[in-house]
Amino acid sequence: MGEPVACRDSERVSLLMSLSLDGPLAATDQQVLEGHLAACPACRAEWEAMKQISTLFEGAEMVGPRLGFATRVERRLAEKAKKRRRLFGGAAVLTGSLSLAAVTGLVAAVIVLGVVAGNWFDLLPDVEQGTNTVSQIASGVNLMGKGVTLFLTDFLRAFGLPMVIGVGIALALMLAVWIWLFVNRPGSYHHNGAA
Amino acid sequence: MDDERAWIEQALKGDQAAFGRLVQAYERPVYNLTYRLLHDAVEAEDAAQETFLRAYDKLATFQPERKFVNWLLSIASHYCIDCLRRRGRAPQLSLDGPLPPQWLASDTQRPDQAVSRKQQQEQIRQLLDMLEPAYRAAVVLRYWYDLSYEEIAEAMGTTESAIKSRLHRARRMLAGQLQAA
Repeated sequence: MGEPVACRDSERVSLLMSLSLDGPLAATDQQVLEGHLAACPACRAEWEAMKQISTLFEGAEMVGPRLGFATRVERRLAEKAKKRRRLFGGAAVLTGSLSLAAVTGLVAAVIVLGVVAGNWFDLLPDVEQGTNTVSQIASGVNLMGKGVTLFLTDFLRAFGLPMVIGVGIALALMLAVWIWLFVNRPGSYHHNGAA
Repeated sequence: MDDERAWIEQALKGDQAAFGRLVQAYERPVYNLTYRLLHDAVEAEDAAQETFLRAYDKLATFQPERKFVNWLLSIASHYCIDCLRRRGRAPQLSLDGPLPPQWLASDTQRPDQAVSRKQQQEQIRQLLDMLEPAYRAAVVLRYWYDLSYEEIAEAMGTTESAIKSRLHRARRMLAGQLQAA
């Protein structure tokens, strides 16, 4: 006895077999299937094999996890919530510190730029040294302004605008991080709705 | 069903006990799916836990018109398919290679030797292992959960015709193996 001769309609017929295992076929399809199976040993063998596998799967029961599964899930949820809170706290401190540093830097830059600009446009009075306390201070500021001007003029010409843009972007990013942190702030994971 | 809705609403407010009840109610179907797909008790446990963690995170996106268990099964099947693909653990079915000898000891062929439950589980594992992940998931959802084509398609994020095709191809492959054994 050799193997059944391969069937040219096997693809179409096996689709009908598969569909019929999931539910009743339309009457015409059922007739086609039955007629073909009666005449084709190769497809009949495939049909028997499909039914055997189907029966095996249908008879299989569900397997469940080990006892205490729900408790283990709850523990993992609690750990995850704790981790998120820690991450949130760390991010808040980091971005808060960076924001403070950026604002401080910005204020310092504005003061320096103010002195430089004032000196540049010759707005600072040329005060004689040592006449009184006020004039001494004004003179000091003037000198400081001139010194800073000399030092920073070229630097600011080259990098002033990028610096202002950079600080602006940094602050915008910080703001975005804060908004993200606020939106995604960790919720509490607790019993019976009690915080 | 009403209980389920209430638990979901309470869980959305952060009530751990309510979410715990949902876990208890569905741990078995979720674990069964992860176990049938991964075939390793430790990995299945981890995948089932991960399914519930993801469900908790995404609970606000759950659409009440869907069955909650189907939603969980969808998360679990996607997770397991990703695991299988990442680990490259899905042996591709070769039509040249016959099934292992254990498969030959079937009820049909040897009625005098009843196949024990353990052997039956082993046969099922071997058969499912031969299918690539997406086919395997479709077969498990069809046979163990009796889901319709539409429900399987929804769970797997594909079309009904794709599911019909996957089931057809999976059955053909397995039948071919059985015939070759």
